[in-house]
Amino acid sequence: MFSIHLKTALGYIRRSPFQALAASFVLTLTFFVATTVSVLVYSSSRLISYFETRPQVIAFLKDGVSDADVANLQHSLQSDSRIKDVKYVSKEEALSIYQKATSDNPLLGQLVSPSIFPASLEFSVADLSYAQSVIDQIKANGIVDSVGFTAALGGESSLKDVVTRLNTITLYVKMGGSIFVGMLAITSLVVLLIIISMRMANKREEMEILNLIGATRGFISSPIIMEAVIYAIFGVFMGWLISFITILYAAPTVVSYFGEIPVLPNGILGLSELFGIILAVELFFGLFLALSGSLLAITRVKKAR
Amino acid sequence: MIKLNKVTKRFGSIVALDNISFEVKDGEFVFITGPSGAGKTTILKLILGQIVPDVGEVIVDGTDVGKLKLKDLPSFRQKMGVVFQDFKILPERTVDENVQVALAVIGLSKTEWDVRVKHALKLVGLSRQINLFPSQLSGGELQRLSLARALSVNPKIILADEPTGNLDWQTSDDLMKLFQKINEEGKTILMATHNLEIVKKHKKRVINIVGGKMENKTKNQKSEIEPKA
Repeated sequence: MFSIHLKTALGYIRRSPFQALAASFVLTLTFFVATTVSVLVYSSSRLISYFETRPQVIAFLKDGVSDADVANLQHSLQSDSRIKDVKYVSKEEALSIYQKATSDNPLLGQLVSPSIFPASLEFSVADLSYAQSVIDQIKANGIVDSVGFTAALGGESSLKDVVTRLNTITLYVKMGGSIFVGMLAITSLVVLLIIISMRMANKREEMEILNLIGATRGFISSPIIMEAVIYAIFGVFMGWLISFITILYAAPTVVSYFGEIPVLPNGILGLSELFGIILAVELFFGLFLALSGSLLAITRVKKAR
Repeated sequence: MIKLNKVTKRFGSIVALDNISFEVKDGEFVFITGPSGAGKTTILKLILGQIVPDVGEVIVDGTDVGKLKLKDLPSFRQKMGVVFQDFKILPERTVDENVQVALAVIGLSKTEWDVRVKHALKLVGLSRQINLFPSQLSGGELQRLSLARALSVNPKIILADEPTGNLDWQTSDDLMKLFQKINEEGKTILMATHNLEIVKKHKKRVINIVGGKMENKTKNQKSEIEPKA
């Protein structure tokens, strides 16, 4: 039974190639944009997550504090769920970091001794929103001289600005992408509606004959629904594939541009996993689009005896 | 059994059928005759459930057709074979596919299609045209295909609406022989026609409709059943 409907649906497509082309093109475009926007949203989320979890809080310790006090503070930081990656940096290590940072001018490194650098405890916060309360808490500790925040990014306000800007960009990507994909999805639905309605108008006689020989509404409408499903599946696969190939092609450049920031999943396997999930979701929406479009067109036809 | 009981059907101000009553017994071959516009096709449409009577009832095998719900109509129609004057063949399907569609409609397993299709096409003499498209067939062949499609579902009742209307005399005669043969196999046949030559040649019961009313005289009676008042 399925094969006769499929054969009929394929026959419909073959006999009106331009309608099929229009439907396929619009659906391909919709799902190409949807795939690309999904990857953009994923990448920007990873970017924000990277910066949010990056901030290094450095608690500079007073001179002459005992190892036991340092160990106690380190332990209490490690047991705090808001804090991660706690690391003790001794005076010698601090000098080494300084020397490394000033390697282009070795004289600067030779003029200082480890004693001028304070030992410190460095750590990250699990989420940027915890930063202020953690800093306040650390500052109150007796062995802490001062607290520095994200030296690499130029200070607390600078990091906040970066994350705020990224959040805004991500929001725009999400909103703009959703609106664009939504508009394309509506266009696809309308195109499907028009094509299915035209098909039904063209096949009125055939449908009447089938009705007279006892075909159910389901039997009559099956090839029409199947045709819409074929367009949707084709559109999903093509849109997804073009986007996948484009991103695969651009991946080396993107990865090298962002350096250690993981804007794309690691390796082909991770990328395939991400695209696999996107494909599954898009197939679901594609089928939803096809079924709703064709059923809407079918229900608009007046029921006759 | 087909029974029309005091059936009246109007289309706006036009009375298509006026107080029509008759019965067709199982295995009978009955002609419905009358001039164009007399109401012959309306009777067949009522029996097929395409339209409902304004007054009276149409009973087919105990089912009141007028009271059938939309969802029950397909299964009701699947029990009947219909042959139309304008053939109503699916133009984009080959001869065998046209018959296969009817089998798919009744939900017959695909494994049985081949045997049924070949048998039906052999019966109507279209075995050689099995892969042709309707546009490649003559009028007589199209009508035989229409009959093959109707027969393939093995219906108890065959409704034929002017099946010889578009055919020459020889082709009509061949087709009528087929109907005769099918009737002898036990099928009930109700045929609307204005071809009086055919009616005269085949001595069957005739229900004559004129202006939507039944004429009380019968022609070429083989079995006489007076229309019920």
